[in-house]
Formats: sequence, C-alpha cells, structure tokens
Amino acid sequence: MRSAFALVICLCCVLLGKELRGQELQGSLSGAVADSSGRAIAGATISVKSLATGQGTEARSDSSGRYAVSGLAAGAYTVAIAAPGFQASTTTVTLAAGERKTVDIALEPELSLGDLGFTASQTQGSVQDQARLDRRTHMLKMHQRLGLITAASFVGTLISSTNAGGRATSTSGRNIHVGFGVLTTGLYLTTASFAILAPKIPGTETKGPIRVHKALAWIHGAGMILTPVLGGIAYHQRSLGERVHGIASAHGMVAAITAGAYGAAILSLSIRF
Amino acid sequence: MIHALLGASLLLARARTRSDTSWVLEQATLTYSVSHPLHHTEGVSHFARGKGVCRDGQCDFLIATSVKSFDSGDSNRDLHMLQVTRGAEYPIVSVRTRLPETASALDTVYADLEVEFAGQNVHYAHVPFRRVTQGDKAYVSGTIPLTLSDFKIDPPSLFSIPVKNDVPVSVVMLWRQAP
Repeated sequence: MRSAFALVICLCCVLLGKELRGQELQGSLSGAVADSSGRAIAGATISVKSLATGQGTEARSDSSGRYAVSGLAAGAYTVAIAAPGFQASTTTVTLAAGERKTVDIALEPELSLGDLGFTASQTQGSVQDQARLDRRTHMLKMHQRLGLITAASFVGTLISSTNAGGRATSTSGRNIHVGFGVLTTGLYLTTASFAILAPKIPGTETKGPIRVHKALAWIHGAGMILTPVLGGIAYHQRSLGERVHGIASAHGMVAAITAGAYGAAILSLSIRF
Repeated sequence: MIHALLGASLLLARARTRSDTSWVLEQATLTYSVSHPLHHTEGVSHFARGKGVCRDGQCDFLIATSVKSFDSGDSNRDLHMLQVTRGAEYPIVSVRTRLPETASALDTVYADLEVEFAGQNVHYAHVPFRRVTQGDKAYVSGTIPLTLSDFKIDPPSLFSIPVKNDVPVSVVMLWRQAP
C-alpha cells in the first residue's frame, strides 16, 4: 500500500515537472499600445502570427492600453496592430524559447479630412439644411403633380371654348367654359405657389433645362392673368348681346399662347429627373 | 565620442527607415452615372482631394470630395441628388484604402475600399485600378461599383419608374509622390 502511494506521487512529480518545463519553454509578448503623444489606446487588436506555421492568435488592449499574448513557441512572428481612427501597424518579433518580450507600440492617427485641407465648416453636416432640401423636394413634387392636373383642366378649358365663342356660342357653353377657366386658374395659382414658396438653396446657380422652364413661366404666368381678364370682358360683351370686340377679341390668341408656353414648360422638364 | 556618433547615426538611420513616403492627389475627376430606361445622366466632380502615407511597407490613402461638387449640368437635378443622398447632412464622400507599398510597381492594383457616403460606411473588396507611372507621378483609373441600396438611398423615379440601383463612379486620378 505504501509502495503504491509512493509510485503515484512519483508519477505526479514526473508529469507535473514535464508540464512545468513545457510552460517554461513557452514565450509571451506583452506591452502597451499608445498614440504618438503617449496616450493609451484601449480596444486595439493585436494579431500575432507565426511566420513558420502561419498559426495566429489575437489579443485586445485593455483600458490602460496594455496587452498580453502568451503561449508562444520560439520563432519569428508578425505582430499586426489595428485600432479605429489609427493607421494599422505591423512589426516582426523573434522569440527565443521561454522568452517574455515587451513590445510597446505607438500608432499614428489615420489620415483625416483635415489632413486634406477640409475645414470643419466643410465637413460638418447641417440637419437644418437637409430639412430645407427635403422640404424643397416635397414642394416641387407637389408642384409637378398639380401641374399635370392643371394641364388636364387646361385642356378641358380649351375644348369647352369651342361652344363659348364664334357662331356656335350658347349661354350654357359659355358658362361651362367659364367654369373650366375658373378651375384652371385656381389650380394654376396653387401649382405656381408650390414652386414660388419652395425653399431656395443659397449659392445655387441655375443651370440646365430648369432655366427654360423658369423663362416659360414668365410667359404662361402673364398669360394666366391676362386670359381670364380678357375672357371676363368677352363674357360681359356677349352677355350684352354684343359681338366680342376690342381688347377682348385677343382672349383666344392669348389663351393659345399661354397653353403653348405651359405645355412647353412641362416638356422642358418631363424627360428629366 | 565615437559611441555618441555611432548612437546618433543609428538614430538617424532609424529615423530614415521610419520616415514616411507620401503621395498627394494633384488632379482627379470623379464621374457618377445614373441610368433610367428613358434617360442616362452623369455628374462630374473635379474637386477631390487626396493623400497617401506609406509606413512599414503599407500605404494608407484617403480621397474625399464634397457631394455638392458633383455637377450634372442641371442645377435642379443636382439639388435633387443632394437631397436624396442626404448631402447637406453628410456633405463629404470619402474613400479609404490600404495598399502594400509594393503595389506601386503593379500595372493593375486591386484595392479594398472603405467608402463613406450618405451617412453609411460600405466596404468594396478587390476593386481593380489601372496604374501608369511617369517619373514621380502615377495616373490611376478605375470604377467603384457603387449601388444606391448599399447606402440606403431611395432611388429617384421618373414617371414612377425608379432609376437603376447601380451608380458606378469612374475615377481618374493623378498622384504625385511628395518629397
């Protein structure tokens, strides 16, 4: 019994001794990761890879920038260090059997927009400016939709004009035409208001088809004021049993020019986005 | 004295090996292309700035430009682009890449790109760039396969048909090695 106990003790000593010797042969790397001013970098990833076997292990620096990688066999290793906001760094380390090496690493800050010469005012976004752009787009979308509805009403007004003037005129025909005219004018003013009231973006030079669109607005805008006025005079003259005469006789021509300019304004943008 | 001189020369040698080589972007043209069944549009920026720093055999590059610097020839469209890409909130588009210093000898460089745009950070792996060297200058060109969905951008539409999701950005750059 006593000899068996002694044998177990001997076996334990042999095994434990072998394990301890193995541990003594394993090396380690440790050190600190800091920026160029010596400030600790926490959360840096330290990747250690054996050049001989390709096997690797990783560690992270703690809040004081310290890291440690143990259990490394003798040999050469590449040590890659990466941290957000810093340029990654790579170095090669050779460990002797059981060596405990200290490798401190200084990381350079990664290139910034400031390094490229951008000023803070150029790189800082503005929620207010974005909201202004969003509002502008929303209002111009409304302007587009209402513009198409106005165009349909415009067509209705032009069609109804065939029974409002000339030889085929009738009171009901004139009234229908007036109704369409009032509807079109109302829709037109609403449509225009969305474009006029849409927020302007400072520093924007007007370029491209929008210039044609805006130039045409001066024509159909004036026409949309003049046409109802002339139409009202013509309506009054007809109601008195008179033939349309004087300035009122230009009602049809002004309306046609207005409709043409309005249609061209839609076409100037309809193939754009 | 000899020891001091030896120490100084060693320090100088170390300083030299640590001294960075750097690259400066002299000229750049970035062009985005938007496709729609009825229309094709391009917007161009000539205002990109860039820098590259090489250290320990690795070179870090950063190229950036303002979103509003892209000009399609139509101010209305450009403002719409600025709105959909949230360009007022995120005014800069930037590209970062890290290349081995040995890449400077290659005709075609495959770069892993980190693109920051519209408030998103997107990684594009293995993007090919052609490279032609003339003295201390390098002409680099390639196309970044950018998509709208990568950056969570709602595609604008015309007649209720949205533009294609792919918005490739072609890049032509002239880099100069800084002394």
